[in-house]
Amino acid sequence: MVAGFESRPLKAAIWLMTAIGLAIIYLPPLYLVAVSFNPALQPALPPLSDISLTWYFALAKERTLISALQESLLVATITALVATGLALLSALAYMDLGKWRSRWFMFVLLPMFVPGIIQGLSLSVIFGRIGLKPFWGTVAASHLLWALPFAFTVILTSMAAVRRSYLLAASDLGASWWRQLVDVTLPLIKPGLVAAFIFSFLLSLNEFGRAFYLVGRQNTLPLAMFGKMNSGASPTIYALSGSIFLASILAVSFVLLAAQAKDRKLR
Amino acid sequence: MKSPGLLLALPTALIVLLLGFVPLIVILVWSFWTWDPATYWIRPEFSLAGYAAILEAGRWSVILGSLGKAFLTAAICVVIGYPAAMAVHFLASRRTALLLMALFTIPFFTSYMIRAFSWRLVLGRNGLINGWLMDLGIVDQPLDWLLFSNFAVNVGLVASYLPFVIFPLILSMQRVEPSLLAASQDLGAGFWRTFRSVLLPLTQAGIFAGFLFVFVMAAGSATEVQMLGGAAASMISVMINDVMRVVNFPLAFAISTLVLIILFGLIFIGNRLFKLTSLFEGFTW
Repeated sequence: MVAGFESRPLKAAIWLMTAIGLAIIYLPPLYLVAVSFNPALQPALPPLSDISLTWYFALAKERTLISALQESLLVATITALVATGLALLSALAYMDLGKWRSRWFMFVLLPMFVPGIIQGLSLSVIFGRIGLKPFWGTVAASHLLWALPFAFTVILTSMAAVRRSYLLAASDLGASWWRQLVDVTLPLIKPGLVAAFIFSFLLSLNEFGRAFYLVGRQNTLPLAMFGKMNSGASPTIYALSGSIFLASILAVSFVLLAAQAKDRKLR
Repeated sequence: MKSPGLLLALPTALIVLLLGFVPLIVILVWSFWTWDPATYWIRPEFSLAGYAAILEAGRWSVILGSLGKAFLTAAICVVIGYPAAMAVHFLASRRTALLLMALFTIPFFTSYMIRAFSWRLVLGRNGLINGWLMDLGIVDQPLDWLLFSNFAVNVGLVASYLPFVIFPLILSMQRVEPSLLAASQDLGAGFWRTFRSVLLPLTQAGIFAGFLFVFVMAAGSATEVQMLGGAAASMISVMINDVMRVVNFPLAFAISTLVLIILFGLIFIGNRLFKLTSLFEGFTW
């Protein structure tokens, strides 16, 4: 421990604030998950004897939600593929950019600070002008700029595993730039690529505002859910929200655990 | 062999320019066009009507209110996030630190809409908190102002964007030389003196970056106010949606231009003053 943090009340106060922060983030959605197992219509914690999957089974009959889910999975897959590819190229470019690095970093990052509604609306004008009808591709285009900064940062972080000496050694042995990339860099940053893909996928799947002006006839899942949440919420929406929330947590945990396992092996 | 450095940057540069920056030009240009309220049509004729309309119908107060909510949210997030970052960096063992960082990473990739929605179950008339308050006998009627109120919106905003403040703070704490804290203690300074004179000044870039991230995200947010705000509650993004019901592009884009100038102005000033990008150069888990 660093000097200056010995006092017990001080440590207790710091941990208390941390616990408050985590509680604010996690308690409400976890409460929602618990409520989703209550077969009663009134939202409350289910008594242990009454835990039921009623609302989860009821989900299977929600046609609009299921087709919205399919649309969102498609958009998320496309977004994640393109974002990971572009982020890889951007990170490789970053390595070569020297004193332009921070400007490049800012350039890729900036679009994420444009409020989602504004970005979606202005993109819809552009697509309208070039005669592109709204479809899953226009939604993916807007999600791309939201996912790219995260994918870029993750891959950039994983580049730390690529020591300059490895590349110099490969180059001394006659490896071309391409061979160095395929045989040295890519295997080393593979966990970063997987993480970038999963993160981009989740960011797209859960993104709400950007799609508003860009969806075609088929809503994305968050837009369909928004409608349900505001029309006298049937408890099936708790089941769906709960499942999506838990699935997102599991996917991120998988990425983080894999990264940590890799880290331990290198040590 | 030489690497194709700039060529690698080209695809991303094109995409970011086309999808990210060209729309901003459209926003700027169309904000000066003319909108005909009789037909809902827009014409490419110069007009300042969009900007003039910002001053009407209480729109100005929605903008100020949104910026105020964003400011309050960012301030609360710094107050909660600073100790949390201290716990991660100074107090926790390596294992606990990794666990905490994971717990603060996960929310980035979960749905803001679901998280905001779940506060309805906690703050509502039949919600968790009213249940506790009544069980404990603190109130005998459920409190109505907990949900669909500015209070609920602010709580939802803090919950949504708290993780954005944590990582810049941890990064800035990682750059503080531990011997400086030890030296301050050796010279007889207690915790608060060391905190005020050493730690706080050395981490101000992280504080500012974290504040700015939360401020910008909260100012542009829509979900929290849509899920948790009262009937008349609005926020910049929601107001733009309302304006677009009559397809008034010039007004929607005049509001957007104003907001983007404020947000990006803050980001650029912050970057100048605090070298925000340098925070991320040594970024590691």
